[in-house]
Amino acid sequence: MELSVVTGRAESDGGVPHGARLIAFTNAVLGSDDGAIARERTALRAELSPDAFVDVCALIAAFSVVDRVADATGIPLDPMLHAMSGDVREELRLGRFRSAANTPGAR
Amino acid sequence: MRELDYDGAPAPVREDLKEAHRFLLDHVCAPGTWWTGRQRVAIAAESRRASRCGLCQARKESLSPGAITGRHHADGELREDVVDAIHRIRTDPARLSKTWFEGVIAGGLDVGPYVEMVGVTTIVAGLDYFARSLGIEPFALPEPLPGEPSRYHPAGAKPEGAWVPMIAPEDATGPEADLYGDAEVVPNIVRALSLVPPEVRALRRAADTHYVPVAQIPDPSVRRALDRPQMELVAARVSALNECFY
Repeated sequence: MELSVVTGRAESDGGVPHGARLIAFTNAVLGSDDGAIARERTALRAELSPDAFVDVCALIAAFSVVDRVADATGIPLDPMLHAMSGDVREELRLGRFRSAANTPGAR
Repeated sequence: MRELDYDGAPAPVREDLKEAHRFLLDHVCAPGTWWTGRQRVAIAAESRRASRCGLCQARKESLSPGAITGRHHADGELREDVVDAIHRIRTDPARLSKTWFEGVIAGGLDVGPYVEMVGVTTIVAGLDYFARSLGIEPFALPEPLPGEPSRYHPAGAKPEGAWVPMIAPEDATGPEADLYGDAEVVPNIVRALSLVPPEVRALRRAADTHYVPVAQIPDPSVRRALDRPQMELVAARVSALNECFY
């Protein structure tokens, strides 16, 4: 996976099947334009199987929960993940997020 | 059994997801550890209301959320400081800070009730985002169930480096023996709500069905109808948009 698609710096599939559509739909759902959600839903639904489309909806729901739980409880990144993810964190510039302060040495 | 309305969905919803949604709504309306069923449903309603709150929108657009003063559109069931915390967690989680958390606690909300409030607020956020993604109306919030909170404090909870005390895997014994299942590694996100164990069980139920069971996360061959790179791409994009470091 090309990490630039995660940050929105690229408009390609990022090496993931239907990656651009998945990103566009996720952006729309977390945005405020209901028309954009409807358009992107139709476009994504046309490319994925019904079960895969529902999986996308479930994942957006799951990480909307997980992110808020993490940010509201101030949990640090687990030491093993911290040690393994240095390159990814640097490429995605995750240290700029305020919640990075919850993990010692992350900034 | 609670009937939920998926009318208008452009694709059929898996039965395990439907069961999880019923479980989560039943969990929300039942008396909790520190809040009554009525208060928990009020927290749920406030979480949903926050997504349409004018004050929250103005704060979100401000360089500093503290620079914008005003009142949320609340129904009066909960204290204003609790309402404010719910709205902040729901609408602007990326700008929560330890200083903010300490202010909430100094304002009179104990840590146990805070953790339970986080659990209910985020469950409803997840249910609402599922409905929004799928293109259906948000699920109706349930009627509260009668009864008193248990006021249970798990003996194993202690400072673990987060803002809130947590139960380490080796301390998850007795009533908490089931808390982390059979995962070899228990990440902090699973421990985060463990000061209020029922909220961990609810979070796990939600994550197991909407993502993958925690014990299977390290196995890259575990997938659903989406393949694993597609799953991780969506997950990572949600977290990037939420500016979540974890």
